[in-house]
Amino acid sequence: MLIDRCAHASPWRRISPAAKGLFALAALLGAYLAPSPGLALGLASGLALLTLAGARVPLPDYLRAAAPALGFLALGCASLLFSLGGPEGFSPRLLPEALDPAVRLGARSLAALAALLFLVLSTPLPHLIALLRQLRCPEVLLDLMALCYRMLFVFACVFRDGRTAQAARLGHAGAWRSLRSLGLLAAGLLPQVWLRALELHQAAQLRLGDGPLRFLAPNFPRARQELAWAAATSLGLLLGLGALA
Amino acid sequence: MHIMEGFLPVPHAAGWTLASAPFLAWGLISLRRRLREQPEQRMLLGVAAAFAFILSALKLPSVTGSSSHPTGLGLGAILFGPLAMLPVSFVILLFQALLLAHGGLTTLGANLFSLGIVGPFVAAGVFRALRGLGASLTLGVFLAAALGDLATYLTTSVQLAWAFPDPVGGFAASFAKFAGIFALTQVPLAIVEGLLTVAIFNGLARFNGEELRRLKLLPGQEARA
Repeated sequence: MLIDRCAHASPWRRISPAAKGLFALAALLGAYLAPSPGLALGLASGLALLTLAGARVPLPDYLRAAAPALGFLALGCASLLFSLGGPEGFSPRLLPEALDPAVRLGARSLAALAALLFLVLSTPLPHLIALLRQLRCPEVLLDLMALCYRMLFVFACVFRDGRTAQAARLGHAGAWRSLRSLGLLAAGLLPQVWLRALELHQAAQLRLGDGPLRFLAPNFPRARQELAWAAATSLGLLLGLGALA
Repeated sequence: MHIMEGFLPVPHAAGWTLASAPFLAWGLISLRRRLREQPEQRMLLGVAAAFAFILSALKLPSVTGSSSHPTGLGLGAILFGPLAMLPVSFVILLFQALLLAHGGLTTLGANLFSLGIVGPFVAAGVFRALRGLGASLTLGVFLAAALGDLATYLTTSVQLAWAFPDPVGGFAASFAKFAGIFALTQVPLAIVEGLLTVAIFNGLARFNGEELRRLKLLPGQEARA
């Protein structure tokens, strides 16, 4: 997983997730509060630069991570530029007056996406789960997240090996055969879901597991200072945007 | 189809989050009760969430020549029920936002409503109704997965149309516009996901029919979907 790999490689993974989360939240708010598309685009560029230069995320990886959202954004904004309504019924026609709202929406979404990418590309998921635990997220959800994250890599590996084996037997030659192969692969893997779940349950019982799963939280020795820095920067960002509004 | 980060206006993002919250709370209460009765389900649902996430990250060949991603939530709703899938869907959608940048945090409520509530409930409802009417497992599974997908995509189109009504034709014209644009990828995806889910069920019935019988999805002698 590209984002997870970048987050684990980033030097900012050692910064407290609470500090990065607070700053990302402020940046998200800033995306919505930005009074003009230019400022929202400026915020998006600033956040992207921060992620690329500060969190040391390679540009091609950043663009690949952003690509699905950018595709949605292009389609979504393009759809605002024409209307299907009118006196002659459902016939498409261009709306020049919709250009301004579409640009505003595009700029806001880009800034919000940049805020999300800043957080996820610099913070490994286990750190975010630990942050959610601090924020008193329900225990059942945290258990699901912890288990899901740990098993992702096991299943991804099994899926990759299975697909390689199927591809070597020309199992992905053609759309229909590819679909059948994928179905067989998923069906072959599904029993493992039951088996591994049973094994995990038995292992937990053998270790006198009493329900919720507990993990050691990562340690961030400078968390207080980092949180104070993040609070000051966030306040500055929001006040700056407020002053420009 | 996930709505991206920051795309929805604040009242809509907050409104869909509030609309999804009671369902999520209902799912959590139901899950806690289930875990008290069957503690081994804690591991099963966590592992199933990982499986559904991996499935949703796979590329499917699409009829339009592009590639799409299955949701896997219809399959989960048939296997585990839509209520149990609610917290699982929440975790999958959160992970998709945090690990794949599909969807987002401000749009998590809206995406949960379409992908985690409407889709799985429609899929499970269609499956039960068709099986109740005596339809074959193949037809039941195909239509449940495909219609669950279509319901998800139509709900997302409603969410987008409501947030961005057409200046001339209002909500209806905007809905037609969004539904029309995204139909290019979503309708073929629904059909492909239906076929994929049938292929998975066929494989399961062939290699692991006992589990399907235990989940009461396969009667005694039915060997293949």
